[in-house]
Amino acid sequence: MQIYIEPYGPARHWLGQNSVTLSMGDGLCVADAARLLAERYPEFAEQAQRCAFALADGIVPASQNLHDGARLALIPPVSGG
Amino acid sequence: MAAEMPRLREGALDVAHFLADAPSAGDGAEVLFSGTVRNLHEGRAVTAIRYHAHAALAEQRLREIETEGAAKFNVTLRVAHAVGLLHVGDSSVVVLARSGHRGETFEAARWAIDTIKCAVPVWKEEHYADGSVVFQDGVPIETIA
Repeated sequence: MQIYIEPYGPARHWLGQNSVTLSMGDGLCVADAARLLAERYPEFAEQAQRCAFALADGIVPASQNLHDGARLALIPPVSGG
Repeated sequence: MAAEMPRLREGALDVAHFLADAPSAGDGAEVLFSGTVRNLHEGRAVTAIRYHAHAALAEQRLREIETEGAAKFNVTLRVAHAVGLLHVGDSSVVVLARSGHRGETFEAARWAIDTIKCAVPVWKEEHYADGSVVFQDGVPIETIA
């Protein structure tokens, strides 16, 4: 299946683009997507433990199963205010 | 501030707009907090900040903060956050709390701004006087509690 990672804020610099497509096996979860992403992008790997992921309904746990075509927002540490 | 207005807004916030709606007859206290772009960050001269956001999630989180804060402190709470390019002195975030008494009103406003800073997906990209542009380091996003 294919998963689309959409990075926000500084994460766009870490990935160098506005969207990354990951090809993954069926039945994998958010943690698996994060692991694949960390293997490809060292800057993300350094920050991975401080990041979260979101689907359309909000922040999702690492154990959340993904489906083909899912759009997963990469939420780096926030700095609003 | 009309309830249907978006909480995430393009450009600097108009603080006076938040006070345009009169308090209710039972409100004996009103606290308005405005966060503004300052000209210095960790010793570096700042000229502007571009605020980025995950718009849908930020809007959802800002509305949750209003709802949770109102229930937690028994106040009326309105919050808003800016996105886009803001300059020194511009208001980037506003919290307006109203209730019968000052104690819970101050507490609610403090809780709301503290929660916005750690639970809303917004990112500051600072523009420095030397021409460099850098995302400010943040904190891992938290749930609203």
